[in-house]
Amino acid sequence: MSHHHHDGHEHHHHEVEPVEGSWQDPADDRPIAVARRRFLAGLGVAVGGAALASAGAGEAAATPLPTNRWGTPQRWYAGDHHIHTQYSGDGQYTVSQQVAKAREHGLDWMVITDHGGVAHQKFSLDQVTPDIEKARRSNRDVLVYQGLEWNIPGAEHATVFLPPDRHTVDILRAFEAGYDGGILSTAVANGGKGLITRSTSADGEPYALAALRYLESQVLSGRTEIALMFANHPSRRGVDSPHELRGWRDAAPGVAVGMEGAPGHQAAGISKASGGRGGARGYYDSSPGVDSHPGYAPSATENPYRTYGGFDWMTAKVGGLWDSMLAEGRPWWITSTSDVHQVFNDTLTPGPQDYDKTGSKGAPVDSGVKQTGFGDFFPGFYSRTVVGSRSRSYVDVMRGLQAGKVIAVHGRLIDGLDLRVRALGEGDNQGVTLGGRTFVKRGGSVEVTVEVTGAGGPNFAGVVPRLAKLDLIAGPVTGPVTDRDTLSAPGTTVVKSFEVTKNRSRFTYVFKDVPGPFYLRVRGSDGRKLTSDGGPVMDVIADSDPWSDLWFYANPVFVDVI
Amino acid sequence: MRWVRLVPAFTSVGAHFDREVLSALDKAGVSADLVLTHVEREDSVAVTAVSARITSGLAPGTEIDPPVEGRCARFPGQSILTGVHHVAEIVEATAIDEVVGIGAAVTPDTRVDTGGFVRPEYRDGLLVLLVEPAAGGVFQPAEVEQPHECCAGSH
Ligand SMILES: [Zn+2]
Ligand SMILES: [Zn+2]
Repeated sequence: MSHHHHDGHEHHHHEVEPVEGSWQDPADDRPIAVARRRFLAGLGVAVGGAALASAGAGEAAATPLPTNRWGTPQRWYAGDHHIHTQYSGDGQYTVSQQVAKAREHGLDWMVITDHGGVAHQKFSLDQVTPDIEKARRSNRDVLVYQGLEWNIPGAEHATVFLPPDRHTVDILRAFEAGYDGGILSTAVANGGKGLITRSTSADGEPYALAALRYLESQVLSGRTEIALMFANHPSRRGVDSPHELRGWRDAAPGVAVGMEGAPGHQAAGISKASGGRGGARGYYDSSPGVDSHPGYAPSATENPYRTYGGFDWMTAKVGGLWDSMLAEGRPWWITSTSDVHQVFNDTLTPGPQDYDKTGSKGAPVDSGVKQTGFGDFFPGFYSRTVVGSRSRSYVDVMRGLQAGKVIAVHGRLIDGLDLRVRALGEGDNQGVTLGGRTFVKRGGSVEVTVEVTGAGGPNFAGVVPRLAKLDLIAGPVTGPVTDRDTLSAPGTTVVKSFEVTKNRSRFTYVFKDVPGPFYLRVRGSDGRKLTSDGGPVMDVIADSDPWSDLWFYANPVFVDVI
Repeated sequence: MRWVRLVPAFTSVGAHFDREVLSALDKAGVSADLVLTHVEREDSVAVTAVSARITSGLAPGTEIDPPVEGRCARFPGQSILTGVHHVAEIVEATAIDEVVGIGAAVTPDTRVDTGGFVRPEYRDGLLVLLVEPAAGGVFQPAEVEQPHECCAGSH
């Protein structure tokens, strides 16, 4: 939401008490001593995390501890954290259909995220849970997480998910009842709470912070190993203001860890002439509304409400909002997902069941006709979130996401990326990889090596994509902003573009005489649609073939100076 | 001519809101040649206010100074813009002063597919229409009448 906070009124909202029933589970029967120990241990982690976030701004006093060390054994796992089923009012597929598709397309992990709301909380949750458990049993090679597409009070949607454990469903249920913007904004007479004006109005903002603190408290108290939140389609309606993004991260640094760098619905922009819907890529065809942040203003130079090369404006713009958060030293990661509801050219259509009364659309109906008006791809078909993890376990994959060892890839543009950032001379010579933090002596040199592997075969359009160029982007880390609605990082630029000619290439770049802390990140393109300065082009509504404009974005590495 | 300010009981931005406001003015027998919408964020919950330049009739609302900026829901010549028009025609035949391309320049010959829905911005007494490249070599206004509604618009 748009509410201004830059005039020092940051705390004028009253604190929201946890909503009844949402805090402690009476069934939590663990010995108190254990619970307490884990609580304290967890607290240490959280305090450390918060300190890291603010100290990241400047220079650490003692020798910093690198994170995400390069060379640590790990493997890469492709997944999708945004998938709808028949338990969304606008969805249609069964859980088992989605899992089968994810598996067919080579995904290792996936998150079921039906929309939060009164009917979902009341009826859907108890139906989706056994479906997910069944799918896990019959697909041992795909991790199927249970999650929620949370209506963030005062803002957009977000993926919230947990690893399977005895309290997972209880936590999700309490979270949704207490903090879903749809429920909070629905009148009591209609089964909601009637506490906020609209799901996206700014009076919901304190509830969003309370919600994230609630999730973090579940981790700290040991009721779940980990819980994560990613903001979905952040620029679509302009309702995720910069201060809200920062606020979420600060409220629960172990939980609110990033956003979709690229939204789903990537087929929606295929032209009618090509047999497509003729909509906007990502369904990004909106303009400023009553709850939009006024800083997101279409102008002669840009339209924040559109995608750029399939990616959200916050991520696609060099020196834009994402960079402005990274330039604070604030860890904030990006992903790419399918947001699959209804798949382009599939013949299945929604079941006839009354969703509001039953929480399900029922089984999908085969129309026998290809649905050219549908705008989505199945999980893994086009968008992948690739995560570095030390094992293929529910918790470890989430830890990889939390640590930012993440690459967002479209249309199989690349099959592998090995990024190493290390100090030459005095500093951390082993170095770190994606999402990591390393250090160098002031005035020293930092070496970046990128080893990139192109697609080893065709993507699901039947074409072997070719990576044409790689951009190395970097900017100084200048510390926390005073205006929490800051949305640009003027010091961040593309420092070097590498032309890619071979399927497997290695590039090196050395930052010399490093004057202060900075961060860097890498992105790549098939080079088929570029602006004159090599950036992504604003996607044209009703004329955006997703397969002919492919990008990947990797998460950043922070370099501290000692 | 005088300007009045109204705050409707319901709030939003977009075609639906415009229709309600414009028909309410018509029903009240008020003629207004410029009708602007404004998002006001003074309180924690934003509201949409309307200002209208009254040409005849007894207008509801409070009298105000001419506004500095807003989103324009009605302007002279608007009804002419029903389909595809050249930039030159838009500027000559309507109150729109300037057509600005987003990320791509327009010329007087540039064709704009209005879809019969045109909402220019009002800035210091000038009406500026933002347009962007669209399918088929034309441009279209950056604000479309019916943007995609997520989850069937339930939130
Ligand atoms: Zn969504
Ligand atoms: Zn979704």
